[in-house]
Amino acid sequence: MDGMFFALLGAAIATVLAGIGSAKGVGGAAQAAMGVLSEDSSQFGKMLVLTLLPGTQGLYGFIVGFLILVSCGVLGGEMPTFTQGLWYFGASLAIGFGGLFSGIAQGKAAVSGIAMSAKDDKNFSKGMVSVTLVEIYALLAFIVSLLVVISIPGMKA
Amino acid sequence: MKTVRIVALRKDRKRLLEHLQDSALVQIKKIDKARDGFERVDMTSHMQVFERDVTLTEQALKILDGVSPEKSGMLSSFKGRREVDPDEIGVIASKSGEVISVCKRIVELDKRRADNKAEQARIATQLVSLEAWQKLDIPLNTSGTRSTAIFVGTFPEEYTEEQLKTAIAAESPQLEFALEVEHSEPQMTCAVVFVPVSQKTTAEDALRTLGFARPMGATSKVPKVKAERLRQKNETLKANSEEAEKEIASYVDRREDIKTTQDYFRIRADKYSVINSIEHSNHVFIIEGYIPEEDCDKLEALCTRVADCVVEFGEAGDDAPVKLKNNKFAEPAENILLMYAAPGKDDVDPTPLLAFFFYFFFGMMFSDAGYGLLMVIATGLMIKIFKPDKRMYNNLKLFQYCGISTTLWGLVFGSFFGDAPAAIYNMMTGSKITMAEMIRWPTLDPQKDSLTLMVISIAFGLVHILVGMGCKFYSCLKRKDWAGAFFDTGLWMLLLIGLAILAAGIVLGQPFTTIGAAIAIACAVGLVLTQGRGKKGIVGKAVGGLASLYDITSYISDLLSYSRLLALGLTTGVMAQVFNMLATMMGGTVVGFIFMIVIFIVGHLVNIGLNALGSYVHTMRLQYVEMFSKFYEGGGKEFEPFSLQSKYIKIQEDKQ
Repeated sequence: MDGMFFALLGAAIATVLAGIGSAKGVGGAAQAAMGVLSEDSSQFGKMLVLTLLPGTQGLYGFIVGFLILVSCGVLGGEMPTFTQGLWYFGASLAIGFGGLFSGIAQGKAAVSGIAMSAKDDKNFSKGMVSVTLVEIYALLAFIVSLLVVISIPGMKA
Repeated sequence: MKTVRIVALRKDRKRLLEHLQDSALVQIKKIDKARDGFERVDMTSHMQVFERDVTLTEQALKILDGVSPEKSGMLSSFKGRREVDPDEIGVIASKSGEVISVCKRIVELDKRRADNKAEQARIATQLVSLEAWQKLDIPLNTSGTRSTAIFVGTFPEEYTEEQLKTAIAAESPQLEFALEVEHSEPQMTCAVVFVPVSQKTTAEDALRTLGFARPMGATSKVPKVKAERLRQKNETLKANSEEAEKEIASYVDRREDIKTTQDYFRIRADKYSVINSIEHSNHVFIIEGYIPEEDCDKLEALCTRVADCVVEFGEAGDDAPVKLKNNKFAEPAENILLMYAAPGKDDVDPTPLLAFFFYFFFGMMFSDAGYGLLMVIATGLMIKIFKPDKRMYNNLKLFQYCGISTTLWGLVFGSFFGDAPAAIYNMMTGSKITMAEMIRWPTLDPQKDSLTLMVISIAFGLVHILVGMGCKFYSCLKRKDWAGAFFDTGLWMLLLIGLAILAAGIVLGQPFTTIGAAIAIACAVGLVLTQGRGKKGIVGKAVGGLASLYDITSYISDLLSYSRLLALGLTTGVMAQVFNMLATMMGGTVVGFIFMIVIFIVGHLVNIGLNALGSYVHTMRLQYVEMFSKFYEGGGKEFEPFSLQSKYIKIQEDKQ
């Protein structure tokens, strides 16, 4: 039995869960931003920045998913063994769940950042930096997933 | 920064203030209350007039935009203000009255348009209500002839003629009547009821119980005629509005004049607000404020040239505003610094360091030679074409330097639009070559060498943090705060260096391990001994000292934070690679080639947008959170000279 199923499951988990996190985060932030824009459309640039901040988790998840696909034969490479398939699956969990929850949390922070920035332009950079504080946890999850995926033995693409 | 006091004669006030405003050398201190022997001159009413004119022109411009939107590209916000010859100001001033009357006319025409529109809406509702009465050939307010009473009106239910007859007969059996239904729809029937005059009251009672009501706004005209008249009126209003709109449109070519005039009044309002807040005696007035040291001579020359006056300079105190002064390389980063806070009185100006690390880290995260070149070229073109104002110019310059750094890092990572050269080559020839094989210099592939790159990232982070602490060390020395410098900052710096040597020793072996460990332990002991020095009693000191070692966790989390340099660099590269893979999927046919170009352009634009934003935000975070927290106090006030606060024009500098 080969480990393809688990490898693909891992790729899906990484992409989908992290994607849900980002979608929720960006969606909430976008709602708040549109509320602000309906009052003052000149704020578009700043609002866009704050809205996009929770979007990175989905990207990280996608990259991990992509690397799994690349290294397990779907996009060229060799088929993983059963054990290796499980390893890929395990690796995907970090960014999957890390991305899911940090994306949602960052979305909430972004909503507050938008409210703050709408009150006074000068608060924008502070809001932006505060929102990125959440990002580190997604990054750590991403790095863990990444290090595992690329160092699974015999599987370097 | 110096303080300055200018005393001049009142007759020169206008001239002097104008020159000060044009030259933007001095920040004028506004006073609330004059000293004894001096008074304030109330200029509020003048200011209000100017401000009203500014609002009027703003309104006029908005109306003009509604009628014929200004042709402005997406990039017009980069455009600098128009340069105006100093002599042109006189012309603008003399034309301003006429321009204001144009603006008034525009606003008036717009108001007429709005009124017409409201009237048209009213006519429309009236027409709708008349619709039901189209067949009626007597006026709606007819009440009867000599022998017959006539009721024209509506019932709140749907009836046919038969049903209505039955309903009325049931209500009042002895009533003699005739009726005509004009129109019926669910919940409304329009009808005319004829009864003999003698039975008028009976009929009224009967009809009332059925919910009869006379139509609103009944007139003495036959409905059809009335409707026709309303339609005619509507046409007239429409024509009138169109005429007004045409006239507004005819003023479109005055847009530039209106903008210029708006600025003219804005400038004058500013000037009067200054007059409002300086001290006057019978013959002289006093301006007090701040001026950067290097501009003192310039100011003195200017003042003595234009007016009889005395200029005095003094040493500025701690509450003086700050003017940043940096070379061309660092200046673009001033905006980034000011977004955080202007330097406080004890701060060194960190702009040069900030600039260097900003460019460096941005490049490392964005890390693609192709994207970098695009940034350099795009910003260069924008500067060339739009001739932006200083602030925008600096922002563009910032991204240009970031672009250079991005290009260099792209070369290190062997990335040019991801692996585009290799991907396209492979598509054409069917071979399987990688970027690393194509490039002649040694590269660092973030995907394969991520561990190495992570170590490098954290090492850069260590340098960044140490530089931040170095600034703290320096400013402590400058304040002669020896304990702060050596114990609070120096020991931690040494400890971090010791730990770094220890970490290096794990790879390099002896003697690094021993040396590193020795330094780290010595510093840790030093910290335990010194950090409790503010506490009372031996126990308090010992606990305070030990507790301070706990700070190591914050340093470790700061350092880990730099792993984002790896993560974001990797994101850019992998995303680019994904798009290249998609683009070259269709193979080397003609269709495949077109497909490739489309996907390539769209994909890389998306990637640039997402990752440039990410790199910008995260670079900023590394500066603000990791570096500034080590030393930067902020809390200073920015130097804001009395100057031309205009939106559209700026005065050319004196060419003398």
